[in-house]
Amino acid sequence: MATDTLKSRAGAGGATGGLRRLLLDNGALTALIVLVIALSALSGDFLTTDNLLNVGVQAAVTAVLAFGVTFVIVSAGIDLSVGSVAALSATVLAWSATSHGVPVALAVVLSVATGIVAGLVNGFLTAYGKLPPFIATLAMLSVARGLSLVISEGSPIPFPGSVSHLGDTLGGWLPVPVLVMVVMGLIAAFVLGRTYIGRSMYAIGGNEEAARLSGLRVKRQKLAIYAFSGLFAAVAGIVLAARLSSAQPQAADGYELDAIAAVVIGGASLAGGTGKASGTLIGALILAVLRNGLNLLNVSAFWQQVVIGVVIALAVLLDTLRRKAGATPVAAGAGGNKAKQAGTYALAAVVTVALVGATSFLHGGGSSSATPKMGLSLSTLNNPFFVQIRSGAQAEAKRLGVDLTVTDAQNDASQQANQLQNFTSSNLGAIIVNPVDSDAASNSVKAADKARIPVIAVDRGVNKAAVDALVASDNVKGGELAARTIAEKLGGTGKIVILQGQAGTSAARERAAGFAAGLKAYPGIQVVAQQPADFDRTKGLDVMSNLLQAHPDVQGVIAANDEMALGAIKALGAKAGKSVQVVGFDGTPDGLKAVQGGTLYASVAQQPSQLGRIAVDNALKALQGKKVEETVKVPVKVVTQQNVAGFSG
Amino acid sequence: MSNPDELLRIEGIRKTFPGVVALDGVDFDLRRGEVHVLLGENGAGKSTLIKMLSGAYHPDEGRVLVDGEEVHIRGAQDAERLGIATIYQEFNLVPDLTVAENIFLGRQPRRLGMIDRKRMEADAEVLLRRVGVNVSPRARVRELGIARLQMVEIAKALSLNARVLIMDEPTAVLTSEEVEKLFAIVRTLREDGVGIVFITHHLEEIAALGDRVTVIRDGKSVGQVPATTPEDELVRLMVGRSIEQQYPREVPEQGAALLTVEGLTRDGVFHDVTFEVHAGEVVGIAGLVGAGRTEVVRAVFGADPYDEGAVKVSGAAVKRHDVNAAMAAGIGLVPEDRKGQGLVLDASVEENLGLVTMRTATRAGLVDLRGQHAAAERIAGQLGVRMAGLGQHVRTLSGGNQQKVVIGKWLLADTRVLILDEPTRGIDVGAKVEIYQLINELTAAGAAVLMISSDLPEVLGMSDRVLVMAQGRIAGELARGEATQDAVMALAVSTPTTETEASRGH
Repeated sequence: MATDTLKSRAGAGGATGGLRRLLLDNGALTALIVLVIALSALSGDFLTTDNLLNVGVQAAVTAVLAFGVTFVIVSAGIDLSVGSVAALSATVLAWSATSHGVPVALAVVLSVATGIVAGLVNGFLTAYGKLPPFIATLAMLSVARGLSLVISEGSPIPFPGSVSHLGDTLGGWLPVPVLVMVVMGLIAAFVLGRTYIGRSMYAIGGNEEAARLSGLRVKRQKLAIYAFSGLFAAVAGIVLAARLSSAQPQAADGYELDAIAAVVIGGASLAGGTGKASGTLIGALILAVLRNGLNLLNVSAFWQQVVIGVVIALAVLLDTLRRKAGATPVAAGAGGNKAKQAGTYALAAVVTVALVGATSFLHGGGSSSATPKMGLSLSTLNNPFFVQIRSGAQAEAKRLGVDLTVTDAQNDASQQANQLQNFTSSNLGAIIVNPVDSDAASNSVKAADKARIPVIAVDRGVNKAAVDALVASDNVKGGELAARTIAEKLGGTGKIVILQGQAGTSAARERAAGFAAGLKAYPGIQVVAQQPADFDRTKGLDVMSNLLQAHPDVQGVIAANDEMALGAIKALGAKAGKSVQVVGFDGTPDGLKAVQGGTLYASVAQQPSQLGRIAVDNALKALQGKKVEETVKVPVKVVTQQNVAGFSG
Repeated sequence: MSNPDELLRIEGIRKTFPGVVALDGVDFDLRRGEVHVLLGENGAGKSTLIKMLSGAYHPDEGRVLVDGEEVHIRGAQDAERLGIATIYQEFNLVPDLTVAENIFLGRQPRRLGMIDRKRMEADAEVLLRRVGVNVSPRARVRELGIARLQMVEIAKALSLNARVLIMDEPTAVLTSEEVEKLFAIVRTLREDGVGIVFITHHLEEIAALGDRVTVIRDGKSVGQVPATTPEDELVRLMVGRSIEQQYPREVPEQGAALLTVEGLTRDGVFHDVTFEVHAGEVVGIAGLVGAGRTEVVRAVFGADPYDEGAVKVSGAAVKRHDVNAAMAAGIGLVPEDRKGQGLVLDASVEENLGLVTMRTATRAGLVDLRGQHAAAERIAGQLGVRMAGLGQHVRTLSGGNQQKVVIGKWLLADTRVLILDEPTRGIDVGAKVEIYQLINELTAAGAAVLMISSDLPEVLGMSDRVLVMAQGRIAGELARGEATQDAVMALAVSTPTTETEASRGH
């Protein structure tokens, strides 16, 4: 089935005609080719075997998820739960094999079964419960994510070694994830094209009632369709975790949208009835090529998201236009058709020009070979703390004449792995990494070590892989300081609540440990509640509001970062700084302002721009072959109203 | 300007779509105060022509003149400005808005930026009275029957001060009584000076309502004749040959009872429905729209549940509310709503033909695609489906060919009891006869056919026996000899039950 469009039709004489037909028939393929050509022209590092294999690896997880989603979308459904189900399946595997000693083979079966069961539940709710698939799978998105956090207790679990080989390469060059992607793609194409269930998907998606009245058991088919999607999600989850050697409860967050985008870019309609595995593969490749290329071109992390959104819209637009133009391939005397074709070409040209223009405009600038090149992969830029690390690093790089590429992993360990891989393959002089997760970064760092590229970790360490230096503040120490500060302010007795960071991150764990250790010395302090608010100001506000309902008499709040502390202050209103004392962590500009204003009693200040500055310093030293300290501790200090004036990040 | 009464003139219109010449030199004109019938087989180009007038398409060549001046209609707004309103077969009404809101949709009278509901409803009331329909402007459109929806559409057209009213097969979905009402309204409009373009497949309506007829065949206007032209002549113009016999029923020898329905009841919908269909027999079910005919056959086919009674095929009971059990017993259903229930419109002819047999063509989960292709090729040839190839999407087939595909998928499954619900609705004369021939072949081969139709001549012409339903019950049964239009109508409006129920009837 997948090859149907590849057949050149009668009259499309010769190879060039066939190629033209092929491109016209598949707008997404055209878009992919345009992208590849544009990126090869812009970056010398793009069109290398190593980098293309990288792209394959980076597309693999999205593609496998998207193959599963293709089944659902073809049958006019939607599956929002695939990202969560992938994380749950991987967690089940790691939890049973690593934590409970279940034989690995059995654990793999369990993991895949988990995916299938999640899919069956989706299918059951949709087919028999008559829930709209959007709602049913949205519920599963939340349930599966929650379960994976429950099972893992919020921490990543090391993945069993034998399964982790799925993240390695075969024969030293062929990455296994690419192989898995190809195999799953072939399976998906086979299922869609040749099997009863696959043909039923098209019929159900095209006209469910007609399918039912033609004797298709629509409800049962739907169960199977969603189960297939769950199965593919489980495979994707295993591949993802294998790449990172660790099952992350927060993995693949938001991947469902990438998967849906890949399917739609590949030419499927959300209305159902159309779609192909080959198209979905192209869609996933477009997304991966784009991310990879933008990394290589050193496009600002913020602009990357804009560019990706624009390209998704353009790719689908191109496909829609192409369909209108080439709806019927009979060539005879179709003047209007030609005009529309010309329109399609014109649009393709505009896309190319816009893309090339935008990327070269956004391109970080000077790339003369004399200046040393470095890459900095930050866990997120959605938080002022890390933005300050970036500005410190960029200022220092400018001062030292270093060409620094900064990427944003958006708190996604696997995206970070991709970025590190891109850094490695473009042969940077040194890499600075601020890991999303200390375990998950190990494989990528090992690869960089192998390529003899010095790696400096900043803020958070990397486990099980050698870094040249760790530049960090001491989170545990800071946690203890925060605990002591609040306890002393309250005179050693009182009720407090703790707002924890995002479950599964090392900063959250370490700070929580620090809080606990610090509070041991003050038995009079009673912790009435500890709840996560994900380092997020809005969530801090919500969680604090809820806690105040249960504990109106609380006297103190420790928040694992300033953002949550500021949210809590909003919730406390006039009480903040008066009857309730709040202590934050990080010393961000907003936090310091609140300290000055008196609403935030104290913040355990790290010096993020110092972290960035010192990291670049050390990276340059390592690059030049000079000796660097293994750990560089950047001091933390408690900032209160007394000393805030003299403090700057 | 030759004629001051001339509202609209079309000269030498040509329109091509990629690979298809839809219209190739069509001339047409419309005068004030006339009903001009547009006649042609499905796919002849009637719809394309009216879409040019409503601004959906733009002609490649030729001219459109309104009041003697050349115009370019580039969208619905242009058409509206020129006073051209179109009522399509699929109504353009918003179900959850009121009648008044629908009539004035997008043009609600406003006061201080707020919708002036009072005035809107008063204006709507006037319009509704003009079309002679008794419906509250505050009623929700969802609650109205199909005939009233049409009246609301007409009222909407009038509210636009339409001078040209285009009606695309307005009678296709109406009962004969409703058709009479519609005709009365159309005649009033004609007297008011509105020019009406009327599309219909029912030849008898032409003489009853029309003034002039323009016949379109294969994208060309082949003639303009007065509405008094004999039907045979019209058919000849339309199909380009004369049709020997409109209802070519050949009654074969009848066999044993194949389908037996006993006391079938669904509370509030149909009651105590009992009948038999024998091998080789065509049983027609006549009745008014809403008499419960479709509901009964859907229950027989297992698509919907029933509360009491039994369905048997060759004496063996068929499980209730189970399409697959019905199919296994050899029952097939060609549903009333061809596009909504019969076809996967964006799938190919081949896939649609293979839908029913896909299950049996599956071995170990794999569909025998080659076998399916061969079967589709055979049946498409046998039925004479006119298409570019088996890969063509059924959406782009004409209505008659679409219906052949729906029937074809059941023929492939060796169906012994075929239920046809309005098998020729919206299908042109030529294709109708082909479908009747198909019914003949089926019964000759020993199958039983149960046919619902609102087209009385068709029921009378093709059925060996006619069941008449009224208010969810079988009101009577007429043999081929005794079934006349009057006899059927008498039963259809009868009240087969008690007086109390009868008073609710109308």
